[in-house]
Amino acid sequence: MTLWSLVLILVWLVTFVAGQLFFKRAMELSSAAAFRNRKVIFILGAGLLSMTISFFLNLGLLQRFDLSYLYPFQGLSVIIISLMAAVILKEKLTMKLTIGSLLITVGVVLVSLS
Amino acid sequence: MRDRPSGFFNPWFHLALNILCVLAYELLLKAGATATADLSKNWSWTGITGLASPLIWLAILFIILDLMIWLYVLKYIPLSIAFPLSRVVDVLVPISCWLILKEGISPLRWFGIALVIIGLAIVVRPAARLEERL
Repeated sequence: MTLWSLVLILVWLVTFVAGQLFFKRAMELSSAAAFRNRKVIFILGAGLLSMTISFFLNLGLLQRFDLSYLYPFQGLSVIIISLMAAVILKEKLTMKLTIGSLLITVGVVLVSLS
Repeated sequence: MRDRPSGFFNPWFHLALNILCVLAYELLLKAGATATADLSKNWSWTGITGLASPLIWLAILFIILDLMIWLYVLKYIPLSIAFPLSRVVDVLVPISCWLILKEGISPLRWFGIALVIIGLAIVVRPAARLEERL
């Protein structure tokens, strides 16, 4: 794997995680306010943009690597998203949730390594 | 957390629908990406050449459907619960390959599958508590 591929994989992960956080934030706000609220649409748009970039990077990576090679990185997104949801969205991250997410992460990585 | 709709609009049911959509589009994307890998060396890193495959367009339809379902799920379920649970798809793919395509699964892979299932069981508990509070 070249350095360039590693950068692409990292950007793919970051845009994916950011997209999920934007989506959740937008839906939280949409519950509180009217759906046509400009802020909601703006955040939803940011999420869509982030996800679109992530989508095409994923496609580009899939053209070069096997799905089984890329899956471990996708597995990492579980624990990253749980942590970010706690830090940025102030979701309550209990010990059980953390352990569960960690096990899922390790499990996904093992499934794809073998 | 506001009132949760029941029946077809139950967010947990939509979480299950989301998982099926992801399963469908992951497989379509891989098939489409493989088919278009050699189209243009200059542009392939952007993934844009994938659009030449009809499978990718079908996958995009599934992604749009999945996005709408997922946004609905996020309206009711915290991201730190919904996202780990949605990754059940990562064990469904190898298990369905094993059951349907008779592909082999190595011991290490079984171990990984077991870890994911234990992790899911642990995440489901806070989810069930969340349900009780509603």
